[in-house]
Amino acid sequence: MSAAQWGGASAIFLASAVEWVEAFTIVLAVALTIGWRRATGAAAAALALIAILVAVTGAGLEAAEADIDLIRAAIGVFLLLFGLRWYVKAVRRFAGRTPLHDEALEFAQTREHLEQSEGRAAWVIAFKGVLLEGLEVWLLVVALGHALSYAAAAGSALASLVAVIGVGFALQAPLTRVPENSLKFLVSCAILSFGSFWAVGGIVGEQVAWPLGDVTLLLLFAAYAVAGRVVARAARASRPDGALGVRT
Amino acid sequence: MRKVLQLIFGDPRNVTSVALALLAAYGLSRVAPAASGALLVLILIAAAAIQAF
Repeated sequence: MSAAQWGGASAIFLASAVEWVEAFTIVLAVALTIGWRRATGAAAAALALIAILVAVTGAGLEAAEADIDLIRAAIGVFLLLFGLRWYVKAVRRFAGRTPLHDEALEFAQTREHLEQSEGRAAWVIAFKGVLLEGLEVWLLVVALGHALSYAAAAGSALASLVAVIGVGFALQAPLTRVPENSLKFLVSCAILSFGSFWAVGGIVGEQVAWPLGDVTLLLLFAAYAVAGRVVARAARASRPDGALGVRT
Repeated sequence: MRKVLQLIFGDPRNVTSVALALLAAYGLSRVAPAASGALLVLILIAAAAIQAF
């Protein structure tokens, strides 16, 4: 694999880990209400749906006879939309403008919600929770997989799932010590780098826009990472005391 | 469905920021193609900064 492919596979692994940690918190809360067998059944059903989505869309994109530059440009635009959303959220959290995602709080709120729910409703909560988190993984696997390799992209997401499940089952508790915001920030920098590279490369031509080739990806990553930290620091310094935004 | 669309596109500010950055990069690519990538990156960082404050 090339350096760019390793970068893409790492981005998928880390991004998936963030999503799987959030999904695990929901499944754990549901499992304590309706039992592990039914909760994991709901999670498995959602994961099966995600796997089908990955297979169908991946095969569809591979079969598409569109110009490779056009597909890369379209994927680049999508990655910019996805990456900017995560980047802004992570910067706002570093700046203290939006509260950090709290797995312990998420767990407590889900448990509270489940106390008023019946068994079937709890099953649906686990299914929807895993499905919604998994959809973001699906989007990334399909987007990065087309330009890198679907096997590597899907393998990274799967490895990440196995790692989170392994740690989660060992601890039997919400994974509160995972530095979610730092991971999300790094991943958003990587996604924005790939998105910028492919979107502009598709419009202008890769050789013209990025004469340094794949090395540009590292420079773009560094630019987004440094700028994000500088912006977060400035935003934190100018923050009125206690002005935390809405939790998202 | 709304949730899925939000997962893909984000909010209107997100879409506007990316659209503006792409339009500006495309415009500059007509006169200085080698600088269009840098402009896109700068606009996206500026958009993130505006939303962070």
